Amino acid sequence: MFEQRLYKHLDWSLLGAVLLLCAFGLVMIYSTTYDPIRGHVGREFYTQLSAVGIGLVALTVMLLIDYRTLSEYAPVFYGGVAVLLTYVLFFGVVAGGSRRWISLVVFNLQPSEFAKAALALLLATWFGQDKLSALRRGDLAVAGGVLLLPFLLVARQPDLGSAVTLLPVAGGIAYAAGLRLRLIGYALLVFVLLTPVAWVYGLKDYQRSRVVTFLDPSQDARGAGYQQIQARITVGSGGLTGKGFLNGTQGQYKFLPVAHNDFVYSVLAEEHGFIGVLATLGLYLFVLLRSLEAARLARDRIGAYLVVGLISCFAFQVIYNIAMSAGLAPVKGLTLPLMSYGGSSMIATLTSFGCILNVRMRRFAN
Amino acid sequence: MLVNEERLNLPLRLRVLQWSFAVAFLVLATAFWYFQIARHQQFLEMAENNHQRALPLAAPRGVLFDRGGTVLVENRFAFNISIVREQTNDLERTAHAVAQLTGASVEAILEALDRNKRLPAYRPIVVLRDATEAQIASVAAHRLELPGVIVEKVPTRRYPTNSMAAHLIGYVGEVTDAQLARPEYKDVQGGAIVGQAGVEQTYNPLLMGADGARHVIVNSRGREIDVLGEEDPIEGRRLQLTIDGDVQRAAEEAFRHYGFRGAAIALAPSSGEVLALSSLPAYDPNAFAAGIGREEWNGLLTDPLRPLNNRAIQGRYSPGSTFKIAVAVAGLEEGVVTPETRVFCSGGATFYGRYFKCHKAGGHGSVAMREALEKSCNVYFYTLGNMLGVDRIHKWATALGLGEMSGVDLPHETRGIMPSTAWKKQRTGEKWYAGETISVSIGQGQVSVTPISLAVMMASVANGGTRIVPHMVRAIDNGKGWEQLPPPEGQKDLGLSHVDVVREGLWMVVNGAGTGGRGRIVGYDVGGKTGTAQVISNQGKARARGDRDLRDHGWFVFFAPAKNPTIAGVVFAEHAEHGYFAAPIAKYMMETWFAKQEGRPLPTLPPLPGTPVPPGVPLPAEVVAAQHRAPSTPVTPTPGGVEP
Repeated sequence: MFEQRLYKHLDWSLLGAVLLLCAFGLVMIYSTTYDPIRGHVGREFYTQLSAVGIGLVALTVMLLIDYRTLSEYAPVFYGGVAVLLTYVLFFGVVAGGSRRWISLVVFNLQPSEFAKAALALLLATWFGQDKLSALRRGDLAVAGGVLLLPFLLVARQPDLGSAVTLLPVAGGIAYAAGLRLRLIGYALLVFVLLTPVAWVYGLKDYQRSRVVTFLDPSQDARGAGYQQIQARITVGSGGLTGKGFLNGTQGQYKFLPVAHNDFVYSVLAEEHGFIGVLATLGLYLFVLLRSLEAARLARDRIGAYLVVGLISCFAFQVIYNIAMSAGLAPVKGLTLPLMSYGGSSMIATLTSFGCILNVRMRRFAN
Repeated sequence: MLVNEERLNLPLRLRVLQWSFAVAFLVLATAFWYFQIARHQQFLEMAENNHQRALPLAAPRGVLFDRGGTVLVENRFAFNISIVREQTNDLERTAHAVAQLTGASVEAILEALDRNKRLPAYRPIVVLRDATEAQIASVAAHRLELPGVIVEKVPTRRYPTNSMAAHLIGYVGEVTDAQLARPEYKDVQGGAIVGQAGVEQTYNPLLMGADGARHVIVNSRGREIDVLGEEDPIEGRRLQLTIDGDVQRAAEEAFRHYGFRGAAIALAPSSGEVLALSSLPAYDPNAFAAGIGREEWNGLLTDPLRPLNNRAIQGRYSPGSTFKIAVAVAGLEEGVVTPETRVFCSGGATFYGRYFKCHKAGGHGSVAMREALEKSCNVYFYTLGNMLGVDRIHKWATALGLGEMSGVDLPHETRGIMPSTAWKKQRTGEKWYAGETISVSIGQGQVSVTPISLAVMMASVANGGTRIVPHMVRAIDNGKGWEQLPPPEGQKDLGLSHVDVVREGLWMVVNGAGTGGRGRIVGYDVGGKTGTAQVISNQGKARARGDRDLRDHGWFVFFAPAKNPTIAGVVFAEHAEHGYFAAPIAKYMMETWFAKQEGRPLPTLPPLPGTPVPPGVPLPAEVVAAQHRAPSTPVTPTPGGVEP
């Protein structure tokens, strides 16, 4: 099953970069949840540590199974996730006004995190079929439907941030599969035209206020705009070398309400400075380019599309979150994969990298 | 066709993706360079000089009411003197100056500063709680020389009834480091005031409410330069307790009137609601509300009468004859006797080669269950216990709550001991000897109980056999109105089929020729049982004559009215010699309860016939007789002793 040869072809440098980013994330969670009064670190740190452990087990399991075997079961995974997403709407754990989690006693599972991988697998399988040397309208409609179901289910939670991250999965695969750019342009146009409609009917008040705030941060110095200003101060005050581990005043004084979560990168910039930023940006970019290399080397289109779908989603989140942490994008509840606090996200992300490594490892036809 | 006319060029498209990622990252890196390098100085100044801060606004704790809506605990405003370290020029000097101006001890102030040194420097640290007007005035007069010393107005607990119900209400104090390390306190800030005993502790999360905050912008010297706004604190939830303030007061008045220490509990037998729960001596929780002084605290801790100890749920004593109720239930339910089974008492009986005495010298003659309870005949219960064996006694006593936690919603409850063969095996590794069961069957020997567990037993018998869970809270104000709480889980029907016989016997104890005559209330059918908890062995009695602290403790368990009881409970009077002297306390509690139920004026306590138990005053015959009880020295098995 797991031959010596495959082991030899494992992309150790990609795996190493991913693990380094996890380690960086753990250091930042340690720093942001460290309680100077109690003199110990928050439980989040240990939760995250165990999530990395579980994620690595999941990653290893993904390596053992040939991705084409996985792709045969793609509809099953997709269906399972759809069931979980439906379940969560009715019986999920409520936090902060939305139902996103399934309580597993030990921790809460967030099925929307796993929706990304399931969607990527199904779309890659669909577009990668041999008979689809050329796309037809019907095929596109199928793909659209496949995307729409989880998108709507997640948006209902409501978790617009996670729902939007499903779009790059579909977009990336469609682009790689050769969809005309003109069509992607049309889709964007429709999106733009629908925006006013969504603005009035689809968004909740707080979501509208976030967009307004982004356009003019001073409008709301204590709400979302306050976070944006604080994020910039946090990042800017770090300077070249940063203030040092545990010495960030912004994160330590809790000016950023979700420092261990959405704004983990701001604190990193504050405590480790521009040097820390360059190091992590470099690592993330390496992971992205190296993964696309795996897509280029893949022995069939299913593998290539699978990698592109997974990595597009990953890239979207990384770029958006880092932009947000410097106050360059509206505040959305989007976490930074591999670094932000979040068990489900960590496990799902490492599972995705398991698939990517899998595609590269099995690039030689048997 | 939706695909480009030319052959799909996947490598090219991947290359395009790679380049676009690289460009995006270049943009990000540039942005960070701009903020962190080009404009670093500006942002650094903003971070240092333009801090936005949230200063906590303390929330008042939830008000507690009794079942009739009378306030038991409320809040007042107190003034604390605090020091903001980052605004002081010289912390040491400031501490000394504050001490001098207020007369407080420098050590206490420095200790408070040290204890909270991990808080951010802008957070005020309370160095003197509940300052007097004079102290505030003298600090205010020197405001200009003392930057960083501020007076804060904070809501503080007020207990209008002082020490009444102190042990069930509890007290509050600054959260301890040990508490902060526990997960249930993870949302509590250092220096916060939390419940440290009683209902204040159990329901702390509900009572605390949520602190508000003042959002201010301060400059580099910590001076406020702008107020961004305030979030009002949210007051803690208001709770309606199950307690009846008048019954509670009656219990405590009666204890003082008759000159006893001890504990009393009254329950509603149908629901398990606690109507009164007192432990004497008590303390005044007001002393803790604004921070208790070290000396005062040490005084409470080292007081030999242990006022901080909640005897009602922590004291463990031998149940004496009150335990016969559990043995009676066991005998009838196990079917080893019928209500009519008669035992002949000649003043004593021999078991396993040893003679066990009854307290009535000439014996009670032939008695059946009801009469045996009424006269508290030891021989009947020796015989019954011997037939049952310790494990069946254990089974039913445990079912009635003895030797178990009652589950009352108060912290630090302890449990008594209900021996069994398994218990002895585990504890000593030895087997249980049948002879030991004889002492157990009249509540002597290894048996020990807490007052609350006896109250649970009494209420469970009184209501016809439903084991109840005592609880303290009736309703919670959820912001929209009072939300009645369902009774706690764990109530269960024990399926008793002969409980009426026991209740009739207990009615005879009070209304017949029994020892409970002082619990009698004209016009009401009271049932009850006295008991005595030995303090020292009979052999030591002679020497201890006249030394009050060596006298036995008295028990009285009670319920009324006998048909459909609305109150049941226990009185434990330390060194009262006999349960006979505990009964009047119970009587006064019941009279108060019935008077309130029927809207009559509350009763008054009868005048005392001199001291409670003056030496030399002739006691009723049955009480004198009751003092000659079986020895409680451990039974050693005799050779040839029959083991069941």
